[in-house]
Amino acid sequence: MIENLLTYIIFTPLIGALVILILPKAQSHLYRVVALVSMALTLMLVLMAVSNFDASVEGLTNSESQLQLTQKTEWFSIELGSLGKFSVDYFVGVDGLNLSLLLLAAIVLFIGAIASWKIENKKKGYFGLYLLLSSSILGCFVALDFFLFYLFFEFMLLPMYFLIGIWGGPKREYAAIKFFIYTLVGSILILIVMIGLYNSVYDPIKTGVEAGVFDATQKPTSEMIIQIQSSVQNGRIDVSNIVKSFNMISMADEANYLPDSFLGKTSLSEIFGQPARWIAFLALLIGFAIKLPAFPFHTWLPDAHVEAPTPVSVVLAGILLKIGGYGIIRTAFSFFPDAAFHYSWLIGFFGLFSILYGAMNALAQKDLKKLIAYSSISHMGFVLLGLAAMTVEGVTGAIYQMFSHGLISSMLFLIAGVIYDRTQDRGIENYGGLAHQMPKYTVMVTIAFFASLGLPGFSGFIAELMVFIGAFKSFGVIGAIPYWMPIVATLGLVLAAGYYLWTLQRMFFGKFWVKDKAWKESLTDLNTREYVMLIPLVVLILWFGIYPATLLNLIGNSVEGFVQLLSQSIQK
Amino acid sequence: MILAQSNMIDGLKDQLQNLTADIIWIAPEITLVITLVLLLVFDLLFKQNKSTGIIIISLAGLILSTLLLLSSWDQLMASQLLMGGLIKLDQGAVFFKILFNVGAVLSLTMMLRHRKKDFFFSSSEPLILVFGLLLGVYLMTMAVNLLMVYVSVELVSICSYLLVGIYKKRSNSEAAIKYLLFGAVASAVMIYGMSWLYGFTGTLDFTSVQFIDGLHLVPLLPLSLALVMTVAGFVFKLGAFPFHIWSPDVYESAPTPFVALLSTLPKLAALTLIFRFVQGMDLEVVNWQLWLSIIAIASMTIGNFSALWQKDAKRMLAYSSIAQAGFLLVGLIAFSESGETAALFYGVIYLAMNFAVFFLIQLFENEEGRIPFDAFKGKGTQEPWIGALLLIIMISLTGLPPTAGFNGKLFVFSAIWESWEANGQGVLLWVFIFGLLNTAVSLFYYLKIPFLMFFKKPSEDISVNNISQLDRFWGTLLVCPLLVWFFKSDGVLNLLNSINFVF
Repeated sequence: MIENLLTYIIFTPLIGALVILILPKAQSHLYRVVALVSMALTLMLVLMAVSNFDASVEGLTNSESQLQLTQKTEWFSIELGSLGKFSVDYFVGVDGLNLSLLLLAAIVLFIGAIASWKIENKKKGYFGLYLLLSSSILGCFVALDFFLFYLFFEFMLLPMYFLIGIWGGPKREYAAIKFFIYTLVGSILILIVMIGLYNSVYDPIKTGVEAGVFDATQKPTSEMIIQIQSSVQNGRIDVSNIVKSFNMISMADEANYLPDSFLGKTSLSEIFGQPARWIAFLALLIGFAIKLPAFPFHTWLPDAHVEAPTPVSVVLAGILLKIGGYGIIRTAFSFFPDAAFHYSWLIGFFGLFSILYGAMNALAQKDLKKLIAYSSISHMGFVLLGLAAMTVEGVTGAIYQMFSHGLISSMLFLIAGVIYDRTQDRGIENYGGLAHQMPKYTVMVTIAFFASLGLPGFSGFIAELMVFIGAFKSFGVIGAIPYWMPIVATLGLVLAAGYYLWTLQRMFFGKFWVKDKAWKESLTDLNTREYVMLIPLVVLILWFGIYPATLLNLIGNSVEGFVQLLSQSIQK
Repeated sequence: MILAQSNMIDGLKDQLQNLTADIIWIAPEITLVITLVLLLVFDLLFKQNKSTGIIIISLAGLILSTLLLLSSWDQLMASQLLMGGLIKLDQGAVFFKILFNVGAVLSLTMMLRHRKKDFFFSSSEPLILVFGLLLGVYLMTMAVNLLMVYVSVELVSICSYLLVGIYKKRSNSEAAIKYLLFGAVASAVMIYGMSWLYGFTGTLDFTSVQFIDGLHLVPLLPLSLALVMTVAGFVFKLGAFPFHIWSPDVYESAPTPFVALLSTLPKLAALTLIFRFVQGMDLEVVNWQLWLSIIAIASMTIGNFSALWQKDAKRMLAYSSIAQAGFLLVGLIAFSESGETAALFYGVIYLAMNFAVFFLIQLFENEEGRIPFDAFKGKGTQEPWIGALLLIIMISLTGLPPTAGFNGKLFVFSAIWESWEANGQGVLLWVFIFGLLNTAVSLFYYLKIPFLMFFKKPSEDISVNNISQLDRFWGTLLVCPLLVWFFKSDGVLNLLNSINFVF
């Protein structure tokens, strides 16, 4: 059970989707039950994975020994004649970098399933696609083979496209295709680098087996691997025995790059007059920054968020954006730390710019959902800033921000959904003094807004604090980003307080007033289903704000290993 | 005098003996010819109810030739020069011929499932043309002699013109005439180029040493002109830029089963022909990589961007097939073993994708044989299964996982990357980048059909074609390989790897 746990996690929603496919139309009331049950099961499995995770394991994030719950079987391999062969593995595993996001995904997807309860239109398609989406999201977080990762990463787009395009708002078709094409351009950039990488990287274990150094059944020790690596570097292993690989963990170790390979550490190759590694890094960075999204690749996000139905917005903001951040950590930074350092100023600047630009846009919005969408862009800027700092605190802050924003933005979109369900209108200026009419709702909104603007006691505060500490330290410790960046970034907090408090004041305080008198009847306070969605989120947001050690212990060692990997390769 | 005569007779005897020995190898082609003659005779003998007989004869011919091909696969160790050096038979050629047979069978299936089925089987004319085309592509894949090249290309072309014009309607005749005019010009240019090459070298066998040596002595300008003119004819059959202009009209008005046939077999045959022609000619002065790269980039870009504005499914697929011709060339441009395998793999996938897509959109054909986009509106809710199948094919044509189209693109572009790393020729990087970015453009129009099916309300005035269980079954069967080859493509690839084609 434990050794196949991650596979079960990926396939549970998929099986749910199959069940929905088989269930006849007459049983359509069961679709949502199936979806909810499979997401609940998945959440339980993920919690099991978390409880089985040994947080004390240390090691650089490029060694397979620090991974846990791993599963690795060959998927297919293809002979390239004299050029050796290449193999694609079904390789899943967790370490501190992805475990927290896996947990977040399971929580948000479960809440999304509750939020989907009231979908009435074309239920079979909706719940089937929702489970398909869940499966590929979870797969994306645990996949450690680039090919497998890319499969899940791309496959996410299709269900998302249909979920936005069929069940979305009035401009859904435009938003859906915009989302699809933007992200596709990003993933093509990633694909380009993927092709370059697997042509440069070999799998030492499989190469050892192929060359007959050791047996396939034997579990190779680290000495044996080092021996293989040095043999390959010295050209003592015949080219036809080399097994090229998509292994993302191998790719992060410069010893696994073939001698004179195009993207190797010592490579002198150039593309358009720039070192190839820098270009490859930029391509990966932009590919994932589109997903994140960071300025100037963010324009798909407001459209997609606004048009998507509430549960899909929740999944989109809560998890999909995090895949961008995770991708940058797992691929761009891990594979090309030297290039990351070279461009850290740029990354930090775009992070900073996203923070301010997103916040200012949010300030100008008249639609509640659009405001939240722009605040997401602003908050994702902190992830970039934290990563650009390249310090332990900065990276921890970035991951913490992703986790915390996943919870908070889910809550924010649910809140926007509550009011939209009642009046089909989200205009901020169309409401006033809602606190009188919907006091409990107002409490929830206040909590969510305060959490999002980074008030101490909520998880967002810890995350942003860590990012700031990391960014301040950065110049002294590693010299990545200058001092003024975090200083200017604090403006983002002020702006966030500005747009949230202003919205609160306009919509909820003062004398009760709504644009359409008829709305008064429909504006009832929260119902049980909404409590079931919101209360757990509030508890989690508070928990991770008051006792951050829960998450910090989980990710601490891996982040240290990751930062060590970065600084090692920079100093060399 | 007498001596010379007896020498000549001896020579003829030898040749005749060689020819008889060769017959065993060209048995599949002979089978095709016999089938063709049988169809002709059958048509003359019977006056009514010919359809069953026609179907049986054609199927028998196809099955027999496939069996003969399969048996020659095992016996064929090294490549064989046949018919006095006119054609060369190797495993690659056998593989393609089997593939063409598969295509012909699928096209036959499409005719059987067509809403105007009777049209195809009321006389044997359409199938005679199909077999003529098949014979032509067989010869094209094997041709190593410029004369044979010309004969086979013309055979394919003439059959194609007739297949396009077979509906005998105004629009068909227009398309057929356009096709004919372009084709005639292309083949005139090609044979003119060939005559120059013959003049330079004194031989028509373009794999011979004499031919290559002869070309080495020719100044660059006339040589380039001759080669460009010759290759123009091949590019016309491939349907790539700049000889692509005929495609949209032809695709739009020809009967859909024939469009499926024309969009695959001649293209793949032309690809093999270019393979053979180019690979044998390793000339330092002629930068094939550069020329073919330009053709590939232009085809992909022009095809994709033109497809964006179409309103008819077959017209859109015509532009898509122009773009796909570019992708087919990409593997070839790599000029490496892995590139060859990748191109062959892409060819197989291309055939599978095209037949699947034409089979499924044929279900939406209207009375006039057109498939306007309106026909798809809202059909996704009525026919979710067909909609899902079409979605998978479109994803595969775009080249996204989890479909075989992704593997195909991954392998050809990997091959390009490898050779760029190896020789550093800048244009290859451009092919790599342009090709992949084109994928994003193509997504926009490939998704149009699923978009209309699932996102739009059905329009009232369009009648619903009855889609039977059999159609769903065939559709599923055709889509299956696209999924299976994504998850397990090593079987096919390792088979393709073992084929000795040109290298």
